[in-house]
Amino acid sequence: MRRRLALMTLLFASCIACSPTHSSLTQALEHAPPPVVEFPPLSSEPLPASEISEEHRLPELLPQKPEDAVTALSVLRAEVRLSPDRADSRLKLAEGLFRIGDLDAAIDECRAAIALESNNAQAHLQLGVALMAKQDGRAASTALKESILLDPTLTQAHYSLGSVQYSLGQLTAAIQSYRRALELHPHFPDARYRLALILKLTNQHREATQLMEDAAIGGIPQAQYFMGNAYRNGQGVEKNLALAIHWWTKAVELGQQRAAESLSQLRRQALSPDQSDRRKKDAYEGFNQYRGQLWADYPDAGRNGHSDSLGITLLKESQSPNGVTTLLAEAFALGETAHEELARLYETGLDTRFTQFDARILTCFTTTAGDGFVPAKKALARIYGKGLGVTQDVQKAKAMLKELPKQESKAILADIAGP
Amino acid sequence: MLDTSRLWRQFLSSSWLQAGAMGLIATVMALGLWAAASSTFTALDWTAYDFWLTDRAPIPVSQSLLIVTRDPASEETLGVGPWDRAVLARLLTSAHESGALVIGIDHRLNHASPAQLGGAASDALLLEAMSAAGPIVVVQSPEATLVSNETIAGHLVVTPHPDRITRTVPVTVTGDKQSIPAFGMALFEAFQQQTSPTTLSFSQRSTTSLLINYVGNGTINSLPTVPLSSVWNAIEHHERDRLTEWFKGKIVVFLPNPVTGGSWLLPTGQTITSSVAHLHVLNMLLTGNHLYQLGVTSRSLLTLLVAWLVAWTLIRFRGAISLLFAGKAIASYGVVVILALTMGHLVLPLAMPMTAALVVLVGTTIWSHLTAHQRLMLIEQDMLHLQQEAIAVREALVLRETRADTLQEDLDVARAAITQSTGQQEELSRSADVLRSQLADARTQEDDARKKLKGLEQQLHNLRAATNESTAIDDTELARLRDECRQLCIVTQDPGLLRLYRDLKKGAKSPLTVLVLGEPGTGKELFARAVHRLSPRAGKTFIAVNMAAISPELFESELFGHTRGSFTGATADRRGYFELANHGTIFLDEIGDLRLDHQSKLLRILQEKSFYRVGATASTTVDVRIVAATNRDLQRGVSEGWFREDLYFRLTGLVFRLPPLREHTGDVPILADTFLHDIAAQMSKPMPQLSNEALRALVEHEWKGNVREFRHCLEQAVALNDGPLLSIESLRLDSALQPAGRTKASQILPDPASDAAVLHCLREHSFDMQATAKTLGWDRSTVTQRLKGLCFQALVEAAGDQADATLAIAGDPSHLRTVELKLMDYHNHLISVIEPFATAGEALLDCKRRFKNLPDRHFTSVETLVRQHFHQKKESKFQSRIDT
Repeated sequence: MRRRLALMTLLFASCIACSPTHSSLTQALEHAPPPVVEFPPLSSEPLPASEISEEHRLPELLPQKPEDAVTALSVLRAEVRLSPDRADSRLKLAEGLFRIGDLDAAIDECRAAIALESNNAQAHLQLGVALMAKQDGRAASTALKESILLDPTLTQAHYSLGSVQYSLGQLTAAIQSYRRALELHPHFPDARYRLALILKLTNQHREATQLMEDAAIGGIPQAQYFMGNAYRNGQGVEKNLALAIHWWTKAVELGQQRAAESLSQLRRQALSPDQSDRRKKDAYEGFNQYRGQLWADYPDAGRNGHSDSLGITLLKESQSPNGVTTLLAEAFALGETAHEELARLYETGLDTRFTQFDARILTCFTTTAGDGFVPAKKALARIYGKGLGVTQDVQKAKAMLKELPKQESKAILADIAGP
Repeated sequence: MLDTSRLWRQFLSSSWLQAGAMGLIATVMALGLWAAASSTFTALDWTAYDFWLTDRAPIPVSQSLLIVTRDPASEETLGVGPWDRAVLARLLTSAHESGALVIGIDHRLNHASPAQLGGAASDALLLEAMSAAGPIVVVQSPEATLVSNETIAGHLVVTPHPDRITRTVPVTVTGDKQSIPAFGMALFEAFQQQTSPTTLSFSQRSTTSLLINYVGNGTINSLPTVPLSSVWNAIEHHERDRLTEWFKGKIVVFLPNPVTGGSWLLPTGQTITSSVAHLHVLNMLLTGNHLYQLGVTSRSLLTLLVAWLVAWTLIRFRGAISLLFAGKAIASYGVVVILALTMGHLVLPLAMPMTAALVVLVGTTIWSHLTAHQRLMLIEQDMLHLQQEAIAVREALVLRETRADTLQEDLDVARAAITQSTGQQEELSRSADVLRSQLADARTQEDDARKKLKGLEQQLHNLRAATNESTAIDDTELARLRDECRQLCIVTQDPGLLRLYRDLKKGAKSPLTVLVLGEPGTGKELFARAVHRLSPRAGKTFIAVNMAAISPELFESELFGHTRGSFTGATADRRGYFELANHGTIFLDEIGDLRLDHQSKLLRILQEKSFYRVGATASTTVDVRIVAATNRDLQRGVSEGWFREDLYFRLTGLVFRLPPLREHTGDVPILADTFLHDIAAQMSKPMPQLSNEALRALVEHEWKGNVREFRHCLEQAVALNDGPLLSIESLRLDSALQPAGRTKASQILPDPASDAAVLHCLREHSFDMQATAKTLGWDRSTVTQRLKGLCFQALVEAAGDQADATLAIAGDPSHLRTVELKLMDYHNHLISVIEPFATAGEALLDCKRRFKNLPDRHFTSVETLVRQHFHQKKESKFQSRIDT
């Protein structure tokens, strides 16, 4: 729990980084991670982390090492000891304490700072944030309102107040707070995302989707995931599976486990024999369209044929990072050509971009094969049958081929048995 | 006022009405008792149901139901406390994708997720999942923060009974101005819509609460459950087949809330959560194993019905048998309750009807005691009415009879005239027809009257039977009364006499004047003494005065006393009997033999309890209870003028009529036994025994002198007999005047056609012509002629005094009125016949023709009467001429 609280602290602090007001708090958190407020980092999610999520986890999302904060704290303590009547230093100490998760001490320091300087909006804001972390919603709301009273332009206060109000069930008030924050600071994707969520909960789907799209474009993975959902369900937008896949893939790239699941589900829908034909076709078309739309981002890339893979083209054109990502994205989007290419690259490797027996490729195959994609199954059967980068496991290989037509499976098994 | 008394009479005579009122009161009282001790009564009321629910064969579990329960393993995976709504969203989505038809979740949308549980994002995910998974039943919450159009709210309210046991859930509750169905019912309805959208059944909604038919012991374990951890693992590992196997085509209910001990106590003794209770409701609806209960009104009505039935049984059949019937009624209801429960799954009320039945049991007993006296009074009134009516009808019958006879005579006369004058034949035959038709009418009327009389007598008889029944005393009370009587030297086993004694015992406690009537020797003094001994004055003086034995000259002095010098020989003050009996009881025996002038002297003392001693100037007041007795008919005395009416009314405070021995011959053996014992002791002889014949003779003998005569007979027999056995001969009943033989003798009179025999026969049949004619084997007109002759003879003998003549003919006072009517009618007819004639000779000529059937010996009486009439007529004419 302590750990979770500490993480929360970090997350709230990160929001402040986006705030236009250059407060001491923001300065101290210059290198804070991008704003991910309500969703705790993946490791703290109740969902057990799967291999896919590991694949898409970004290094920046990993929690900051607490050692830095501890050393900083001792410095701050010394400062307070030297000049106990300075609200500034107390506030900094509070910030430090807050960062290591000592909420009670942080709150005490904030209160001390407010006692010294009662019209310090920052102090009230800091107190509000700490109280919020302590889940004392009402006190937090009071403190935040106080800080807004002292400084109505404090975007962070409005934003935090919105969160507090939501947790108190005051949805309308929360919407107003977020709107105010956005008025003060229009380029605040997280506020946009949160506002979109609440609007969605209050059934204002059209505006919610608009805001959500802005947030998704702004790089909020949750917003991207919800955008995907919105396109799948046709909530506030026209139903479009290709766009849904687009947003989910983006979210997966930013480590959204749920988006990976949604994609997996859609793949199953396209591949599972017990789905209705229409649903299957819809899903399949969605993936095809998505793969087709990928070309739109690279107008310069020459397209040789409709089924040609953009990833392969990009790799050929030596746009390596984009090529790798796109190839994987295509493979995840049931691109057969991309699969074949990846199967080849898995065995051969490609300079620095793909090592031989690249784990990313194996994960991709496992995932798509799990969802019932035949080329992936074939490739995996070969990998396990031959023990390419994994322990040889013929049984597993045979199991992979169980549902394939006999001739095909025989050919592959012969290939495996061969040299 | 009249209406009230009429209604009251109607009420008392109708067992239905009384039972209805009693039932109503009992029901109200039972309701009151219920309100006062509701938990006890509820527990009692549901006892049978609880036993049945615990011990019956288990009901089936629906195949369409699956419950996913939170288990410790899932808490290890997903954490303790409330879960992130994203988890719920995933569960719902998976269940939906695996083919669950209807999904329910024990979750309220009444709060926003806190930040640590995913915040708004999780809320949004849950709502998305809910809208994707179709209608999902969630738990209704009054202030829903999150709103989803795709959810159906169901309440989880349960309503425990006052004994804190949960047996019902309300079908709907009202929240946010709309009615929210029960969680289980909402799921069932959604399931019905999915499976058969055309046949929507909302029949259950018509009731207010549903009885829960629990599966097994009522816990969650009795229902088909899957641990949430298994489901979660299956979802995690994409085990689609397992999920489909679990969920496909079923109602899936998730219970994701932390597992807590239930707070609702079941009849089976288990405690459960409200959601489990609602799941049992769902299973009940799915398997169609409904239980039914009655509404408050129906329960009250049923209670009323049972109470009414028991009350009616108790009122209709009195005594032990009524208790037996009432017991049977209650037991039958018990059986009905059990049968309804086991066969019809209908729970009938138990405690209220039983309480009401008990109240009725007590209430009816009290009521019967309270109203017994009143009912008796009503019956007596009815009897009186009927008696009066019977008398009236009898009188009418007499008149009709006479009229018929007269018409017959007229007809005869007319016939004679026809033979004489053929010229007038036509006219006469017409008049003969008229007469004939009149005669026929008269006969019809007479028959009607006879029928009516018979009916009335039957009614009277029934009423008498009812009276006897209503005042019936059971054996134990009879024995007790018999013993009490014996202590007062009253030897009897006769229920009638014992009943009289019982009334006397009640009456003795009041200060009212008591009048004991009865033939000589019936024990009037014994009862008078009993009145004294049973009264609060028992310890005081009892003075018995024989009014017939007091010398008329000394009457006042004896009764009231005198002062010195008030008359010659009054040398000292003397206290009279009344003074001597001060604070005690004075018994005035033979009060009917009191002279009229003495009667008036008693008036004052009876009224004011004060008198003047002879020669005294100041009045003396005494506190004395007066008991009078006589063997004479005082009522007749009043009507005949030899007894003062005012005195009569002052004496009749309480009137007891002692029956003659012939009306309680059952007492003869016991009396004989007692008397023989006493007599033997007095005469210092061994107690003789009576032979069987002797005893039979004693029983059959008509004891004119009643018990006194009976005792004397035995005394005589004991004195004259030395043997140990008294035979029929030693009783010497034959040597005594045998009045019993008289009735038989009349039939064996030497000449059954003699006037005496006819008169006797008439008296025996209460002057009913038809009956008499039948007995004598004669034509009725012959009997009429004979009676007519006798009446005329009696009139002549009584020198025209109708009253004397009537008495002479009637013989018994009970026939006076009938005879009087007949006699007057005959006489009037005679007068009307002779009236038109100028002289007695002409009239007699006509009479001779008209009364040709009259025996000659009686015609002399007619002649006398006719002559007397004309003589009087002449005299009166003469007188009037003088006057003018």
